[in-house]
Amino acid sequence: MDVILQSIGLVFQWQNLLALIAGTGFGIIIGVLPGLGPTAGMAIILPLVYKWDPVTALIFMGSLYKCSNYGGSITAILVNTPGDATNAATILDGYPMCEKGKGGVALGISATAAAFGGLIGMVCLVFGTPLLAKFALRFGPAEYFLTALLALSIIASVIQGNTLKGLTSAAFGLMLSTVGFDMITGHLRFTFGWLAIEDGIPFVQALVGLFAVTQALVLAERGESISRIGKLVGGFWEGVITYFTHPYAVIRAALIGLFIGVLPAVGQTSAGLLAWAEAKRESRHPETFGRGEPEGVIASETSTSACMPGDLVCTIALGIPGSLGAAVFLGIMIIFGVIPGPLVFNEKADIIYSLFIALILTCFILFFVGMTIAGHLAVITLLPNEIIVPAVLIISLLGSFAIRNQMADVIISLAFGVLGYVMLKGGYTPVPLLLGLVLGEMVEQNYHRALVISGGSYSIFLSSTVAKVLMLLTILSLIGPYLGKAWRKLKEGEKNVQSIE
Amino acid sequence: MQYQNLIMKKRKFPLIEVGFKFVLLSLFGTLYVMAIPYPTKSREFPQLIAAFGLLIVMISLARDFIQKKTMVKELGDVEDAELTAFDEENRKIRRKRFYQAWAILLVSTFIGFLFGFLFTTFFLFFGFSILFGKRKNFLKNTMISLAISLMIFFIFQWLMDIPLMQGIIKIKFLR
Repeated sequence: MDVILQSIGLVFQWQNLLALIAGTGFGIIIGVLPGLGPTAGMAIILPLVYKWDPVTALIFMGSLYKCSNYGGSITAILVNTPGDATNAATILDGYPMCEKGKGGVALGISATAAAFGGLIGMVCLVFGTPLLAKFALRFGPAEYFLTALLALSIIASVIQGNTLKGLTSAAFGLMLSTVGFDMITGHLRFTFGWLAIEDGIPFVQALVGLFAVTQALVLAERGESISRIGKLVGGFWEGVITYFTHPYAVIRAALIGLFIGVLPAVGQTSAGLLAWAEAKRESRHPETFGRGEPEGVIASETSTSACMPGDLVCTIALGIPGSLGAAVFLGIMIIFGVIPGPLVFNEKADIIYSLFIALILTCFILFFVGMTIAGHLAVITLLPNEIIVPAVLIISLLGSFAIRNQMADVIISLAFGVLGYVMLKGGYTPVPLLLGLVLGEMVEQNYHRALVISGGSYSIFLSSTVAKVLMLLTILSLIGPYLGKAWRKLKEGEKNVQSIE
Repeated sequence: MQYQNLIMKKRKFPLIEVGFKFVLLSLFGTLYVMAIPYPTKSREFPQLIAAFGLLIVMISLARDFIQKKTMVKELGDVEDAELTAFDEENRKIRRKRFYQAWAILLVSTFIGFLFGFLFTTFFLFFGFSILFGKRKNFLKNTMISLAISLMIFFIFQWLMDIPLMQGIIKIKFLR
């Protein structure tokens, strides 16, 4: 209880409140800009907050992460362009509502969903995470090693969608994490005599390159800006009333969002689409879905809002990220010395609870923003790419430079930008690479510690029940997609045989 | 529609992907060999990862080539000329924009390396507004780029004491 009171006091310090408001504002703007999701947003701004106090920085980043999803719903409704894939389901009914002249109602629904769905998700985060962390206290070095492997394998197979490519990316990330001084022997590895990477590949610079620079290049290549904004008519409060007259739809969507969020690596895009599909399936008039049905917007927005806190449950308690954004947020927490895992509630309880309280406050700010200025924010999408691209590049590269005041860091970011772009074109996602880079040191240290405990015997990785379960889950996560494919083929084959018969 | 899908499918044996795999293959191999003289504890983990990486990339490449063989059999009658004509114009424009963006990035980074990061910010804004924006706005774009650079100078150099004017020339010759 003392910790919670202390955390409330921390959040209400002026600099933290300011960080909360700034993070919310920046998150919404990032969300509004199509193509820039929470991952790119966090990558752009991270170098600038690098030297901040961990509480202030994590409050800023947490609110940015949470609000960027909401920002995307504004353009999904008004411009028919989602800020990020997360808001794909909102377009289905949000834009048709706008075309019917009910844009204000749709915005009212999305603002209420962001606040109410987010609050439901936060309840799960506040109460679920410490319970899960308590369980994880039984972990030793072998279990930590296996948990990191599980996180990597899940991210590799589920987020990438192609296990081999995901594993390659993760292995590359782990390999890069071994560059620099070896923490155990002090030996210098793979630096090629370059001083800038003697302390290892700098994570922030790599993040900036992989997401911000790559994204800027993709935007430059596309070379277009959005020019059409739907007609906005009032009715925000009508949207709020509509939202609360569908309690069953709200609860169902929130539960779907939470469930998807807690599942590692499934992500908010699936949550929105699944909730929308479920709402349509359950509806008495499914034919109205996709033609401006408010229940469609309620379902997709509530689900994605509840999903984000759900994402953070496993990320904070176990160090297993729930989505792309959560993977980046995990890396950011590590940078600020908050190592996610079971011990985080003992060692950094004040920071974690401050983050939770700040995220709860964010829900209310989002509602206020949604009801007042959301309609005007869509104007940002009219900015041409020749302004957005250099702005993104300058903010991110300047931050990258400012960490150590070295041009070498800008070069590292550009090198990772090339890598990110090539990976994107080659059909790879850089997230497993980034996670490998972040978790690499922890994986290596626990690998050696476990072997020291067992006297060099690899049987330690299967000695406890938890280790066995983790190993089984890792194997399942790797072969699961193949089994699923084989099962679908078998079913199709059976159907074909039946139809021939 | 089905024909267009076939064309897309044939195109999906991408050179970038296979090329990237070969780069990874040589990288994992080189790092594995480089780790040999390191102390046992320093080389064990990187070699394990490099060996795993090599294995995965080789499997992945083998799969690509097997799939290509099947694809060539299935789609042998789709002419390459049709493939090249498909959306070629659009690709050309995108490629041009990509190279332009990279040229701006490299030039401005090099200038920043010589004279300080502040010049990178100016040339980034200036370059993008000239090459991607409207030519008739040349003067306006230059003024905006200057104004932004000055604002960045004021905030970061003046208020936060970040050395934005410290390039290699100043470090080597002007001290």
